[in-house]
Amino acid sequence: MAESYRRSQWSNGLFVLPYLSFFLVLLVFPLFWGVWLSLHKVDLFGPGRFVGFGNYVRVLADPVFLQALRNSVIFVLVSVPSLVALGLFLALALNKTTRTTSFLRGLFFSSSVLSVTIVTLIWRFVFIPGDGLLTVISEQIGIQPVNFLSTSGWSLFSVGVATVWWCLGLPMMLFLAALQQIPTDLYEAAALDNASPWRVLTRVTLPSIARTIMLVTIIQIVMQFQLFGQAQIMTNGGPNGSSRPLVMYIYEVGFMRWDVGKAAAASEFLFLIILVAAMAQYVVSTRKSEASE
Amino acid sequence: MRRFLLSTAAVIALTCGTSAHAQTKIELQRFFGACDADYATVTDVSKAVGECGIITSLVNKFEADNPDIDVNVTTVEWPGYDQLNAQMASGAAPDVVSMHYSAISDYQSRGLIDPIDDVLSAQGISPDSFTDAARGGVTKEDKLYGLPFDNWTMLFHVNLNLMKEAGLVNADGTPILPKSVDELIAQGKQFKEKTGKPYLVQILANETAAYARVLYTLLQQQNSNFFADPTKITLNTPEAKNVVELMKKIKDEGLTTTGLDYAASVTAFTNGDGGIAINGTWLIGDFVAQSEKDGTALAKGYTVYPVPQLYPGQDSTYADGHSWVMPHKDRTPEQTEAIGKLFKFLADNDYEWARTGHLPAVKAVFDKPEFKALPHRENIAEIAQTGRSLPGAVQRQFAIQDIIGEEVGAAVNGDKTIDEALGSAESRINDLLANI
Repeated sequence: MAESYRRSQWSNGLFVLPYLSFFLVLLVFPLFWGVWLSLHKVDLFGPGRFVGFGNYVRVLADPVFLQALRNSVIFVLVSVPSLVALGLFLALALNKTTRTTSFLRGLFFSSSVLSVTIVTLIWRFVFIPGDGLLTVISEQIGIQPVNFLSTSGWSLFSVGVATVWWCLGLPMMLFLAALQQIPTDLYEAAALDNASPWRVLTRVTLPSIARTIMLVTIIQIVMQFQLFGQAQIMTNGGPNGSSRPLVMYIYEVGFMRWDVGKAAAASEFLFLIILVAAMAQYVVSTRKSEASE
Repeated sequence: MRRFLLSTAAVIALTCGTSAHAQTKIELQRFFGACDADYATVTDVSKAVGECGIITSLVNKFEADNPDIDVNVTTVEWPGYDQLNAQMASGAAPDVVSMHYSAISDYQSRGLIDPIDDVLSAQGISPDSFTDAARGGVTKEDKLYGLPFDNWTMLFHVNLNLMKEAGLVNADGTPILPKSVDELIAQGKQFKEKTGKPYLVQILANETAAYARVLYTLLQQQNSNFFADPTKITLNTPEAKNVVELMKKIKDEGLTTTGLDYAASVTAFTNGDGGIAINGTWLIGDFVAQSEKDGTALAKGYTVYPVPQLYPGQDSTYADGHSWVMPHKDRTPEQTEAIGKLFKFLADNDYEWARTGHLPAVKAVFDKPEFKALPHRENIAEIAQTGRSLPGAVQRQFAIQDIIGEEVGAAVNGDKTIDEALGSAESRINDLLANI
């Protein structure tokens, strides 16, 4: 250790410089700039004036922000467990090396490569009233069709369905990678003990991929709090703001109302929420692994 | 080898240099949709139909007539102001942009667009050549901040075939339209009873503009001065309540389509799913084209009228218009001249644009025999007098429209009471205007 430290030279730091400069310019600088903006009354086109925490007070007093926050939390609470559970289910079902499973893996992953515009277009064909797939099916079986995209409750649900369909590929692939890392001797031992499939799943498979489950959950929480495109294109946040997520609120305040200071203040709240969520998951996962050691 | 390389480089440099000097390039950014599949090479404007077709072929024709000018067109999703804001903030604004009259004050008040008086006078275009409504829409502080292109309003697009079925057609073949709120409801019920279809085809989902335009129109008809102070809206009024109650009643009685967004509502009307579409002037050309095709729901059965006067106050319709503005940026004199030529061309061809259904911005077009011969224009001629916009000093009109649409939509769909919705709309809009 001491030897390597003595031999180290400052010029070795040049190797991390490219990454560090991008990190500073694209992440650290905008982070602090966002904080600076949030303390100013400012639009997109010029310098503003310092207003202290005025923008934060305005954001917290805005019922539309609180509604968007609630929508985002509900969305994360429903979509993340769905993504984890479905991703795990698909990974378990496809964790074999046959042609069919390889094909199906590709098929289930294929939705992830589509752009948000295409994904929402596809799901609009399903949900749109009049000629939409679900309307046609409802009429065929004689039930009253629901206006999925313009009914409170259903609109956020519809956005959630499109999101889960779109984002399912990554959790599935991460789970598949984790499943293939489990030593086969564990399964051989379980077979010798005549363990039931359920017991193998709960005592061998799931404990072995616990860290991946946590990783997928953290990634999805961070991603789903940033919901925007699907909601904007499918429902425009409506009706009555019932499907407006936080990022859409920030976008509307910043770009449509030119109130960049307020939008930056709302962004800081989103940053804090994501930070807390990620840290909470991190703490839980660290405690678990310490307890098991 | 060295000589070969040098001569190749010289040829490339010469070619690039020549082409750079040969054409003056201007960046034009617009909404009105993309239709390159049908119109990418069309230069015969008279063959084009609809907003997108006509503006695309107009630009093609301009480029063909002016080979020294290259107009690079970027099409944006309507209305495209978020994208424009980002471009302006990053110093990458286009040279010419389509803009609603109602949005001009936002940009003019921040010095983001340039006055165009000199550009127009250099081309010999007199501001007096525009209609009062059009000139008023682009004039701020006695300067013209855009080339006015048209005036538009919402209209009653009528499916006469269904109206006949409903018994709502006069002996002369004109539709029987309501003259009061009670008549509207009664005729709507009659229509629904006779045809089994909703009376109105409205845009009630995923869009806010339609709610706001209907509210503005019906408030104006009750002489409600809801923007007496341009920095403050008043919506907690009996007049506003009357309008929202009517809109809710229409929905609750099943007299309108529900859940349709803009595109779906246009399709629903052309498919004959309802009697009267409340939509803009810009669709007249498309609907007329549909009505000329046999076998369509509108075949030989389309007409159009202004939104009828439903309240005794005054005959009025909310109006706005499209213009072409020049974002503030450095330009070469050649580029400014090229933009001037483009403006002159667009003004000279305002008749072609008026074929969409919009009211012309250039006075002389009204006297053209070809304009007078366009179908249904006599029905809607009165909107030149009855069309009224919001006061020009009201800023953030698109953001206001979004708030109104969201809140009124919530009341119409029963997610909020009417009083709650109007109160919330008023406080949200006033908070927005107080923090500009």
